[in-house]
Amino acid sequence: MSTSSPHALTAHWKKFLAVGVVALAVVWWFAFAGVQHHDNRQALSVLVGSLFWVAVLIGMLMLTMITRVFDAGWAPLIRRNWELLIAGLPVVILVGIVPLAFLPDFRHAVWYWTDGSHILPSGHEVGHDPILIAKSWFLNESFFLVRIALYVGVFGLLAALLRRWSFAQDTDRTAGHTHRLHAVSAVGIPLGAVTLTMLAFDCLMALSYHWFSTMYGVWFFALSIRLALAVTVILTYKLSNGGWLDGLLNQAHRHVLGCLMLAFTVFWAYISFSQYFLIYTANIPEETFWYNIREFDPVTGLKNEWWGVSMYLIFGFFFLPFLTLLFYRTKIVAGRLLAVAWVILVGGIVDLWFNAIPRQVYDKSAPEGFSVTPFLTSSLFLDLLAIVGFGGIVFALFLRGAAKNETIPVHDPRILESINYHE
Amino acid sequence: MNERNERIHGVACTFRKVSDVFHAAEKVRDAGWKNWDVHTPFPIHGMDQAMGLPRSPVPRLTLLGGVTGFITGCLLTWYMNSYDYPLIVGGKPYWSVIFPFPVLYECTILFAAFGTFFGQFIFNRLPRHNHPLFELPNFARVSDDTFMIVLEARDPQFHPDESRNFLQSLGGQEITVIRD
Repeated sequence: MSTSSPHALTAHWKKFLAVGVVALAVVWWFAFAGVQHHDNRQALSVLVGSLFWVAVLIGMLMLTMITRVFDAGWAPLIRRNWELLIAGLPVVILVGIVPLAFLPDFRHAVWYWTDGSHILPSGHEVGHDPILIAKSWFLNESFFLVRIALYVGVFGLLAALLRRWSFAQDTDRTAGHTHRLHAVSAVGIPLGAVTLTMLAFDCLMALSYHWFSTMYGVWFFALSIRLALAVTVILTYKLSNGGWLDGLLNQAHRHVLGCLMLAFTVFWAYISFSQYFLIYTANIPEETFWYNIREFDPVTGLKNEWWGVSMYLIFGFFFLPFLTLLFYRTKIVAGRLLAVAWVILVGGIVDLWFNAIPRQVYDKSAPEGFSVTPFLTSSLFLDLLAIVGFGGIVFALFLRGAAKNETIPVHDPRILESINYHE
Repeated sequence: MNERNERIHGVACTFRKVSDVFHAAEKVRDAGWKNWDVHTPFPIHGMDQAMGLPRSPVPRLTLLGGVTGFITGCLLTWYMNSYDYPLIVGGKPYWSVIFPFPVLYECTILFAAFGTFFGQFIFNRLPRHNHPLFELPNFARVSDDTFMIVLEARDPQFHPDESRNFLQSLGGQEITVIRD
């Protein structure tokens, strides 16, 4: 129970829930209609929308645990908002990815390796594909469903433990909870890292199951942290203007968040480029096709829409945030940091599109036997609606949690250090 | 003793408490002093603002070094692989921004580190073998339990007697004139 009365903002949770439910109903309806007409693009909107928030919340879960093990003095004030938000992580997986995986029609539409009769660009059926047969110890439907259930379980358990003991400290004022959370985080970081890697393999890499990259899990981790920090900057900005961080969030907090955004912008670029670079250098067809369909049309050889998306990722998602965040003032002036956070948020959505949407689609009339899923379709709006929908659910849970618990961890041993944090 | 001792480096005064030296520093800043310094045994949070210090100019040299390094890397790989001895490796172009990228960013990092390292030396006026402050008998105590403010003679506001009185008014304890 909260010792102080809940903040007025928390009363808005019903509006967020209503927006979330309505948006998700529309998205699921379109996805259902699409699957009935053998069009999988709308089902991918559910995947993109849920993975966006899964990435944000996994990032926050990891940041919560990392700041716990490092005893980060600046963190408690901001970490409480992560703890309130990560309640949504198992829920987003349950409402988004679990139905896609467990309902056969959707599963076959999204992950075509589960559909034995799906025709590959070679003209052969998936069921007779020697590559899939060789990978079937991992890529088989029952193990796949067990893994999806495990993602809900592992992330749900970690989020529950991190929240429970942190909230318990608000009332019973024992420092023992801090030690306990230290231990949970020390175990949780490697466990979370393996789980998020598997989730990235299953939900994104397996969309084109012929392709493989050992860097994929690290890429997803880098993207998750970048998105988590961008959402944190935007949220703390709102909360320091009429929310519970009013008068508490200072320049040094913005500076530390800005430094982390810069570090993970560089890290994301390093990982994304390395993945491309190794495949480019080795030049093996099993790997290069994944980048080829994202660069040029298989028939004409001319640059396709995805090439423009790639260029946006390089210049809009790396160089723009990188070069602006290099400057000290970008990290401390609230408005500038907020603008960079929005740039990263938009770039993260584009990066998810880049990874999830383009696939080789069997096309008998095409000389190469396939065409590439186009980028510019009306379904992009459905993707954004799905992001709004899952976001509504996440923030409804966030505000409910904020109404029932302290929004400032008043008895955290480092709360004063955090509030008085100095550069 | 000799002529050398008549040149004054500045006036030093000691403080016993963090809050005393902190507020004294604010008053020196507000009096418009430019050439002065505070010596403490440990970092004091907020001292930069209390002294009115601007941000360090070192990052500018870091950026300059990074940009120089990137351009050097480009020229290096282009000259060697595409101009002086054109060579096809692994079916890649003679020169593009992709295949030599590790060279480009390693050069960027190396030169940025040079910019930072040598920039720090330049702005700290290092290397320097001795400093008049080291002659002060109680200077060693600022690495133990004493705080010190030094007003330097090269500041236009400096006047041996007035500066001494100014430091006294700030609550300074031992006031010493430092000779070059």
